[in-house]
Amino acid sequence: MIVHAPVRIGPAEQALIGQLGARGATAAAERLQAIGLPTRKVESYHYTDLKMLLRAVPELAVTMPAISEPALRIEGAHRIPMVNGKADISGAMPPGMTATTAKGSSLTERDDVLVRLNSALATETLKVEIRSRATQVVHIDRRSEGGAAHVNDSVHLFVADGSKATVIETFSGTDEAHVSNHASYVAVGKGAELTHILLDLSAAAATSFATAEYHLGAEAKLRTIAIHVGPGLSRFNLFARHEGEGAHGDFTGLNLVTEGQHSDITLEVTHAVRRCSSKPLFKQIARGRSTAAFQGKIVVARDAQKTDAKLMMQGLMLSDEAQIYSKPELEIFADDVVCGHGSTTGALDEESMFYLMSRGIPQAQAESMLVRGFIEEVLDPIEDEELHLALEGVVERWLGGN
Amino acid sequence: MTTPMLEIRNLHARIEDRDILKGVNLIVPAGQVHAVMGRNGSGKSTLSYVLAGKEDYEVTEGEVLLDGEDILGLDPSERAAKGLFLAFQYPVEVPGVATMTFLKAAINAQRKSRGEPEQTTPDFMRAVKDAGRDLHIDQDMLKRALNVGFSGGEKKRAEILQMALLKPKMCVLDETDSGLDIDALKVVSDGVNALRDPYRSMLVITHYQRLLNHIVPDVVHVFSDGRVVESGGKELALELEAKGYASFDEAAA
Repeated sequence: MIVHAPVRIGPAEQALIGQLGARGATAAAERLQAIGLPTRKVESYHYTDLKMLLRAVPELAVTMPAISEPALRIEGAHRIPMVNGKADISGAMPPGMTATTAKGSSLTERDDVLVRLNSALATETLKVEIRSRATQVVHIDRRSEGGAAHVNDSVHLFVADGSKATVIETFSGTDEAHVSNHASYVAVGKGAELTHILLDLSAAAATSFATAEYHLGAEAKLRTIAIHVGPGLSRFNLFARHEGEGAHGDFTGLNLVTEGQHSDITLEVTHAVRRCSSKPLFKQIARGRSTAAFQGKIVVARDAQKTDAKLMMQGLMLSDEAQIYSKPELEIFADDVVCGHGSTTGALDEESMFYLMSRGIPQAQAESMLVRGFIEEVLDPIEDEELHLALEGVVERWLGGN
Repeated sequence: MTTPMLEIRNLHARIEDRDILKGVNLIVPAGQVHAVMGRNGSGKSTLSYVLAGKEDYEVTEGEVLLDGEDILGLDPSERAAKGLFLAFQYPVEVPGVATMTFLKAAINAQRKSRGEPEQTTPDFMRAVKDAGRDLHIDQDMLKRALNVGFSGGEKKRAEILQMALLKPKMCVLDETDSGLDIDALKVVSDGVNALRDPYRSMLVITHYQRLLNHIVPDVVHVFSDGRVVESGGKELALELEAKGYASFDEAAA
């Protein structure tokens, strides 16, 4: 590593360096001291200059009971509360499912500041293992409670061979300027099917980071949905790896930003083996003065012949002051593959608006019908009816907050 | 004299810097069906869009009275709520909005604006089923996104279905025959004819006479260079077919 000049260290970095040092993560502390938080010059943070956007980092979170209400109630779901990094696994678990805790973070080492921070600062991982085809939805209710705190929490989810599950993780908490850095490690076994949802409902004052890494076994079927509606500053890191032949991933997301918000979803899907497919579909809607950014990269390794991958980003601008960024990328080292990407961004279609209004539907209602229609493609595949309804409610509330 | 259903007085409209309508005068009394015939580019479709209130067009002069009320200051949804309906030449595909959801929203929005209670779901379902049967509309089609993946004929039948459900008092049909084969044309025309009513008027815009064999108009207007150049009975359509539009251009000059 070449360091050209000493980096100016701001208050947020200073706080992080202190916290890393206090936890004995000397290497991570030194690294941060040397290079600082990523600026727009770092390609993977090009649209989210953390050095500029992250102004302060509060004290590390302490263990405490849940104070706030669950941000989302899903009828019939099994809920595991997790407050400031500590999961409550005292209740009975659904058949075929176990929950335990382990020390440290669940993430694999990676050259990413959020991964390094979580790896050094998360003290405990909630480990959930599902060995059944039960239909009950599992809700991991991750919260940042109390006064403003820096929370690092971690989940390890394993869906065993041939099993089938739907797991939603929500991020929420008190209405404080928390900095939460969440980690999820998700492994989908051979022929297993998983729908995995990350829903960020944190307060507008909060900053939220979430890294999820996905490992797909042979013939596994994974659908992921990352939804941003809450925090003022947000970044999703999604890293997926097809490791067994014939695996399929539908990586999807809704990046909904409003006045004063900045939210970034960065996805990297690696096809490591033959005959896998992936269909990333991300939709971004921005209104007010806000920024939504999506970076999506599909990497096809040399051995990953017969890969079928199609990445799509669609952006909808609801205000002239909003900004939507989109950077789709393909990196292909195999020669017998079908890969594509597309990206479109625009305002609501005027012809559609005129058509709906010409039938007597008032402007505001026509707009919200079109926005709902735009979003529905992402929510529609959710099989569980109650979960589908709950997520539609989330979107509805976001729309209502116009 | 009773109030005409539609009265267009000296209507001028432009899009960007181009004048398209150059003084349209037209009266459709209640219960009558009038045809507007003209060649491509004569401004017929513009007339239909201006009546419905499409934003791209700027009205520079004139008035449009619907049942005696000037509607030019109203947005498209308000015009629709007052009973105006435009059957589109090219119905718009709206992905993500289910046809049934759209129909219900449209019906209830119009009822709401008139101060009527919402239609109950069973009543709505029944109305759709009844209207759909006459138009040979497959119920599965209505579960799909609005107009998405509909064939040309399905789109036109869906337009007439909307017309039947919304019960407008003034229907403007823009090139409803375009893209239809003979059988589909008959189904659509039968649907339109079934909606003829002493309290409902229609303005049928077409450049072929063949539609008027099925939907027989009370009056035919010849449209050229942005205005009506001649009006007459249904035999005028036959005369146009025989002589072509060129013979009417002089009248416009």
